[in-house]
Amino acid sequence: MTTTPADLDRARNVALDLSGWGRRFTFYQPRNFAFWGYLALVGTGMFVFASTLTREYNAYAPAIALAVTSFAIYAALFWWFTQYIDHYAKLPAKLMVVAFLWGGFAATWTMAANANDAILALYAKSFGQSWALNWGAGLSAPFTEELAKGSGLLLLIALAPPQVRTAFDGFILGAFIGLGFQIIEDIAYAMTSAGSQFGANQIGASIGTIFVRMVSGVAAHIVYSAIFCAGLIYLLGRPAEPRRVGRGLLLMAIPMLLHGTWDSLAAIAGPSVLTLFGLLIAVVVIALVIAVRVYELTARRERDFVRDVMAPEEARNVIAAAELDAMAGNRKARKRYRKAGRNQRERKRARYVLNAAYGLADELASARGADTDRVRFARAEVGRIRAGVPPPPR
Amino acid sequence: MPDQETDNSSAPPSPRFEPDDGWVPADERLFGVDRRTIAPTLAVFALVIVMSVVLPVINAMVPYDDIVKAGDVLKLEGDVTVVPEAGWGITSGVRAGNAPLSGEYPATATVEQKAVKFRVHTAPFNGDANKLLDQIETTSEALNRGRGVHVASMHTTIVTDQGKQGAIARVTGPNTGGVIAAFVFEGRGVEAVATGPSDTGPESTAAVLRMIRSISHPGEGTR
Repeated sequence: MTTTPADLDRARNVALDLSGWGRRFTFYQPRNFAFWGYLALVGTGMFVFASTLTREYNAYAPAIALAVTSFAIYAALFWWFTQYIDHYAKLPAKLMVVAFLWGGFAATWTMAANANDAILALYAKSFGQSWALNWGAGLSAPFTEELAKGSGLLLLIALAPPQVRTAFDGFILGAFIGLGFQIIEDIAYAMTSAGSQFGANQIGASIGTIFVRMVSGVAAHIVYSAIFCAGLIYLLGRPAEPRRVGRGLLLMAIPMLLHGTWDSLAAIAGPSVLTLFGLLIAVVVIALVIAVRVYELTARRERDFVRDVMAPEEARNVIAAAELDAMAGNRKARKRYRKAGRNQRERKRARYVLNAAYGLADELASARGADTDRVRFARAEVGRIRAGVPPPPR
Repeated sequence: MPDQETDNSSAPPSPRFEPDDGWVPADERLFGVDRRTIAPTLAVFALVIVMSVVLPVINAMVPYDDIVKAGDVLKLEGDVTVVPEAGWGITSGVRAGNAPLSGEYPATATVEQKAVKFRVHTAPFNGDANKLLDQIETTSEALNRGRGVHVASMHTTIVTDQGKQGAIARVTGPNTGGVIAAFVFEGRGVEAVATGPSDTGPESTAAVLRMIRSISHPGEGTR
């Protein structure tokens, strides 16, 4: 049976409808209950954090300035990276900001901080102070913090149902929720360290904390929340992601286990610094390996969407079959496509063609598959770059 | 004339119209609000209530039962020890010989008796006891900005049972009174703060002074 261009166009429309790719996100939705819930909870968290920061700034200004500057740069790097890995049906940037703010203010200050304090105190009362110091953090934070961060995704789905459609969307939004949580928590840790030596030697006391939090943060909240939120989407099911309860629960349990292990490392390792260091590296590596696996697992559906959206372009010879395979493939497929060039110039051009083709895919998604001026221009750009014609002078 | 069926199959289909995000179907409205958004929001609020109200309330209702027995010694980071009063409740910190598995004792210990709270904190510090007390006062003033508990008297000298000289001062706040003491043992500062109601009886005051005098550090002679 032959597939006609019209069949491919239909498949494209189905993919665009299902994926929500290219749809704009409006934050201000007064008739959406989740909008008010989000505002109340994030607003409360912001108020608590701002009150703490204002109060402590008077005493710990140098350390707070250092922490905020360092973690702002750190956040910018992770922000870029997390957006970079969102190759396929891209989410609106505004939605990522909304996710970041949930993680930074609601999940931390409105929810997890209160619960953590209470649970730690209850553990100390029930099992003794020493037991609580050993295992309290590892048996409280994984539940309270992962649930607090993950609950934000429920509100995001209610706020943006056409955009949050796949487990991959959950993975990306989870990463942004985790990034917000991590950055604000890190600043709070730095403030605590600044006061740990009676307010003297603030920079010396907090710089170690800042460094450790930056290094350990590579495989902490960002990774945990990304995996947890991908699992939550599998658990709930979405129009573009059939419900898979077992997979969902497993993916939600894994970050809790990783988080619990991380928070209990000092107790597991005992007094040996070497063992602690070895375990620390092992947990980071395991967390990153799992995150890559989950990324690959969730990206499959998104790659199918890219293929469906761009297949009509291949049928109309706008892009080549190899380019379609690269666009809808993984990192290795894109690398293979680029490396196929005979020389440096061709390889560089292949990269530009691929970027232009992704740009065309985004324009097609925004136009919902229609043949608009922007789509025609994006198509022409693919052809221009492939032909090696320089852009018009500015 | 073109065949209608062939035409339909080859013409690119138009994208389905989608209303903007603010549109709510008439049959999904409840007092103008999209009823589909109520359940997930309430679920999140339920979680918030559990975390921010239920758990703290349960914690407040559960009493401390870690009561100090005669002979108990609390140990802190840097081998600093303090002997708490028998009958007081330990709310943070651990007994000597009961170190966490990491081998590192915590930097803070707190014991409470009714409304009186006694807290000891230790950290590296360069300087003498008076300088430490000044530093604590400066930080405390910066944090409280004249409100809350603040140092209300000149520094005087206090000597521990071990013979270590420290600095002590009275603190006051709204309906609160107490003392703050500072010691420095070979580059390790120790802050001891006791606060309670202004009308705290002489028994508690004596107990607090005994606990402050019990603060010690190995290898420390009279200085």
